[in-house]
Amino acid sequence: MARSWDKAAVVLCMDVGLAMSNSFPGEESPFELAKKVMTMFVQRQVFAENKDEVALVLFGTDGTKNALAAGDQYQNITVHRHLMRPDFDLLEDIESKIQPGSQQADLLDALIVCMDLIQEETLGKKFEKRHIEVFTDLSSPFSRDQLDIIIHNLKKSGISLQFFLPFPIGKQGGTGDRGDGSLLSDHHGPSFPPKGITEQQKEGIQMVKKVMMSLEGEDGLEEIYSFSEALRQLCVFKKTERRSMPWSCQLTIGSNLSIKIVAYKSITQEKVKKCWTVVDARTLKKEAIQKETVYCLNDDDETEVSKEDTIQGFRYGSDIIPFSKVDEEQMKYKSEGKCFSVLGFCRSSQVHMKYFMGNQVLKVFAAKDDEAAAVALSSLIHALDELDMVAVVRYVYNEKTNPQVGVAFPLIKDAYECLVYIQLPFMEDLRQYMFPSLKNNRKCTPTEAQLSAVDALIDSMSLVQKDEEEGTIEDLFPTSKIPNPQFQRLFQGRKKTIYFFSSHEEGPTCKKLKTEEEEAHFSVSSLAEGSVTCVGSVNPAENFRVLVRQKKATFEEASHQLINHIEQFLDTNETLYFMKSMDCIKAFREEAIQFSEEQRFNNFLKALREKVEVKQLNHFWEIVVHDGVTLITKDEAPGSSVTTEEAKKFLAPKENANADSAAAFEEGGDVDDLLELI
Amino acid sequence: MPAAMTTAEMGDEARVSSNNMSGWESYYKNEGDEEEEQEEGLEAGGDYSYSGRDSLIFLVDASRAMFESQDEDELTPFDMSIQCIRSVYTNKIISSNRDLLAVVFYGTKKDKNSVNFKNIYVLQELDNPGVKRVQELDKFKGQEGKKYFEDQIGHGSDYSLSEVLWVCANLFSDVQFKMSHKRIMLFTNEDDPHGDDSAKASRARTKAGDLRDTGIFLDLMHLKKRGGFDTSLFYRDVIIAENEDIGIHFEESSKLEDLLRKVRAKETRKRVLSRLKLKLNKDVTLTVGIYNMVQKAYRPPPVRLYRETNEPVKTKTRTFNVNTGSLLLPSDTKRSQTYSHRQIVLEKEETEELKRFDEPGFILIGFKPLMMLKKHHYLRHSLFVYPEESLINGSSTLFSALLTKCLEKEVMAVCRYTPRRNSPPCFVALVPQEEELDDQKIQVAPPGFQLVFLPYADDKRKVPFTEKVMANPEQVDKMKAIVQKLRFKYRSDSFENPVLQQHFRNMEALALDLMEPEQAVDLTLPKTEVMDKRLGSLVDEFKELVYPPDYNPEGKVTKRKKDDESYGSKRPKVELSEEELKAHVSKGTLGKLTVPALKEACRMYGLKGGLKKQELLDVLTEHFQKA
Repeated sequence: MARSWDKAAVVLCMDVGLAMSNSFPGEESPFELAKKVMTMFVQRQVFAENKDEVALVLFGTDGTKNALAAGDQYQNITVHRHLMRPDFDLLEDIESKIQPGSQQADLLDALIVCMDLIQEETLGKKFEKRHIEVFTDLSSPFSRDQLDIIIHNLKKSGISLQFFLPFPIGKQGGTGDRGDGSLLSDHHGPSFPPKGITEQQKEGIQMVKKVMMSLEGEDGLEEIYSFSEALRQLCVFKKTERRSMPWSCQLTIGSNLSIKIVAYKSITQEKVKKCWTVVDARTLKKEAIQKETVYCLNDDDETEVSKEDTIQGFRYGSDIIPFSKVDEEQMKYKSEGKCFSVLGFCRSSQVHMKYFMGNQVLKVFAAKDDEAAAVALSSLIHALDELDMVAVVRYVYNEKTNPQVGVAFPLIKDAYECLVYIQLPFMEDLRQYMFPSLKNNRKCTPTEAQLSAVDALIDSMSLVQKDEEEGTIEDLFPTSKIPNPQFQRLFQGRKKTIYFFSSHEEGPTCKKLKTEEEEAHFSVSSLAEGSVTCVGSVNPAENFRVLVRQKKATFEEASHQLINHIEQFLDTNETLYFMKSMDCIKAFREEAIQFSEEQRFNNFLKALREKVEVKQLNHFWEIVVHDGVTLITKDEAPGSSVTTEEAKKFLAPKENANADSAAAFEEGGDVDDLLELI
Repeated sequence: MPAAMTTAEMGDEARVSSNNMSGWESYYKNEGDEEEEQEEGLEAGGDYSYSGRDSLIFLVDASRAMFESQDEDELTPFDMSIQCIRSVYTNKIISSNRDLLAVVFYGTKKDKNSVNFKNIYVLQELDNPGVKRVQELDKFKGQEGKKYFEDQIGHGSDYSLSEVLWVCANLFSDVQFKMSHKRIMLFTNEDDPHGDDSAKASRARTKAGDLRDTGIFLDLMHLKKRGGFDTSLFYRDVIIAENEDIGIHFEESSKLEDLLRKVRAKETRKRVLSRLKLKLNKDVTLTVGIYNMVQKAYRPPPVRLYRETNEPVKTKTRTFNVNTGSLLLPSDTKRSQTYSHRQIVLEKEETEELKRFDEPGFILIGFKPLMMLKKHHYLRHSLFVYPEESLINGSSTLFSALLTKCLEKEVMAVCRYTPRRNSPPCFVALVPQEEELDDQKIQVAPPGFQLVFLPYADDKRKVPFTEKVMANPEQVDKMKAIVQKLRFKYRSDSFENPVLQQHFRNMEALALDLMEPEQAVDLTLPKTEVMDKRLGSLVDEFKELVYPPDYNPEGKVTKRKKDDESYGSKRPKVELSEEELKAHVSKGTLGKLTVPALKEACRMYGLKGGLKKQELLDVLTEHFQKA
């Protein structure tokens, strides 16, 4: 868990100006995308339950509300929320309260407001990190006058910046620190310049680059992200991610040679930390419940004995041996404190990956600010690398932990070099299973035809793209950049999370491949989406589209699933879900026209109207009317008999609600209601 | 994994109690732990919660030839067999003490068996391995053992292998427990036991066939014989390779080490963690078994004993309502979490469902070159994947084709893997592994795929790396010399776990009433003396090249160390001079200092002060008052 010394103050600074709502047909606007990225960020913050505080500043708003506003200065900038712990209210604000503005505001002015806010509101509080995340399309004009002062002040006050833009900017190579081997480039996305960009935006990009370069040097460019990149990776919020605790020790070789080192966990399985507590079903309080453990003899009466009358023992084969805690403590193995001692060196091929165990990877560096140690460790790293050897070491975290034997192998990057430590098994941990040979077994020898079919399969499902000219391989599916869907789901779950359970679609959505052959693109991306087997509740509209288009389910089946979700959403009677329902209904309508299923949609919409009346979801119907989602007319689809006139009338408010139909549903009308009506 | 073990035990308890307790009382399992236990239990695999016990009879030829060694220093085949059996016993005590073991001698003078067959001596019936039994085996070790055997049991001249097998079969049928696996290991150096009696030979073959039909496996652990052990004379027809062992044929063993490996290979029965579908695409699916080849071995969990009688007691956990005192049924409780003041309440089942994503199995996403697998992206220990023919026919063939091609094209298969119904998916790489045999023709690497877990973005952490300072070639070369001097051949079974070993030595000592437990040799400690000797002057030469003259790499310089720990330099520096401290002590204002400052001060004076502020204050005050 984050400690107080690791606390961050973050200002989300979002452009809501006029241009943010513009988008190409069929694409989400920068406004929506920025909201998505912010939502994801805040969700993580809320569930991480750390002490970070988050503020939200909007610029391009119709109104003005900030501490610096005076006269015509700092106009159209609104401090929507001050620095405080993020919560569900903030999430809801982002999702529904933030509206696109019709103004433009100076990005640099907004930055100054953010800086001012951070400085004012962190006064007297301890924050290890201060950070501003800017979401903008850079289409508003800005005045450069203060740029240098801003940069100077950012540096001085130790505020870091990250930019999120609707398009990728060209960046070269990188430090290699983000990644992962210089040979295998993970970079993707079209190279600069993006299409359809205005002069103003180009100027904005130059400015952003300049700011970032002057703040962090070349690395600064790494902190400029496109929305899609951010949505895909999530881990881009580097400023708030968990840091590892340093572990200082000496690497020893024999008794006379030691090198001062510091090690950090670099990979460890992130688990959902919070457990479910047991609460009383009626009061929902955990205090109402108590647990009691009793001991009893293994006789017919199950005679209870008190804990004091029991002692500790261990099984040793068929024997059970009494062994008190005190004796155990005294006789047990003692490790003599922390160490990182080389036991010997061996060829790297002898330590196979299949023997790796334990739950962490440590990166071992030379101690900070110790050049002698750095050179000594570097010698070892390069010696091992050049000899293709590894060190086998004894590792003890501290005197209370058990010793491990592990491997330390060299890892050399552009920006840094280190040893990587991973635990190896003890003899007791190994299971030497043998398996029948597959080679000399007639029963399972594949035919030539089978072999070539598999060969073709492997070729057709390659997840890499080779660039013959540059000799690089691009990873089209970098799994280690995909966030764990379990957390995603956790974030989406709130209150009665039940509606979200049936989602089957949260697999990795492979980024769009920029291959020319559309077919290849389809096969890989659909594979990644391969998990869409039914309409889930997280992206129901999208799932629905995939299902009917890929004909994975009949239109009838898919629409039934979709309707189920719409129904569930409406039952929450929350605006948030109304919007989600609207997306579903719109998707249903579009696809129905496409697939000549207009009758199905029209029946549904009619049933929905009835339902809305019965359940008094007038507010929802207002949205339907507002968005003008009505019956499919015969102008839109030849199969329909509805005229435009009738369609219009359909949305008009009914004067007298039909009492009979109301009686038919009453309370407790369930999920099947709508389906039955179709 | 203690939790896993308790699951098995609690499982037993639950069954017993539900029989003789009324409904509401039977609800006493520790709710909160349950979920985790289940999960870990499954992870650990190979526990007894779902299968019976393994049983194994060591059948040892005790004819005179088994006691003859070919030269002085060599162990006799009999001695080798006994040592090997003893090793299995002690290993079983550690790894799976519920398994049943037995030892039967044949070709003896005396006889001891339930059907009074001649020349067959049942030394130990099928039972858990324990200290007494190990001690009994020890009596047969070495030269003294040979004499002991001759005095107590003696060599016989005649025996019938079919009767021997009959006795073994009886041992199995006398066992009351449910057995998951029955196996006989036959140790002999006689390749033609009934060469002169074809009727006996034929009866033995028939009996061996009967055993096979009743699910008893018979393995031949043939030992060195002058002129070579010829399996074709007799044993080839008796020991018909079981289906699962196609292609594994051992050479005869002349060394204990070889014999041990063979026995280990046979006695550790493969336990499949799960059988799952591997979907190559929409239409093509095969089934595979998942196996655990490395699994952290833990000290067994303690058991609670009744002080008076040392008998184990049962544990019950009851959940009740504080206000009414009434016991609560599972349905009377819900699960809750609170995030920023909002409570989320779910039914227990719903919390389970929250973890449900896909049906269990693998979904192939695509292939990547093997070289793209990053060693330093290790997440958790890998598993092993082998085809499972029993569910979908042809799985082995398709699997074999996939393996062949992946090896040939040097690619791995990236899959989405859902191990169980209620577990979230993860990405894995199926890394092809070719079968490897050693010179004894013992399989050292089975054919199949290594299932390597790939980290999610969430699992990776960015670390604040130390600035790169490159060593020069001369320095690197010197280190190379050091590395070369300390070269050794790594074997995965080179290191014993000193913690476990010590625990079991302690147990052994207590069980045998020894005064002092044997100290386990800690193989994880560096052999510094040998290392120093081997390195000679290299270390000093290296230090001269790398370290400044006044540099002390062991430097317990508190200042420097603090810098390392405080990560950046934001933590306020706490340095207090002796005068300041003294002043604080005398004025009684020591309490104004922060805990880190106090700790630092303690460290400076080498005082052990505990963790609490008051404790720190006490030691410091004491120190300065004394001074």
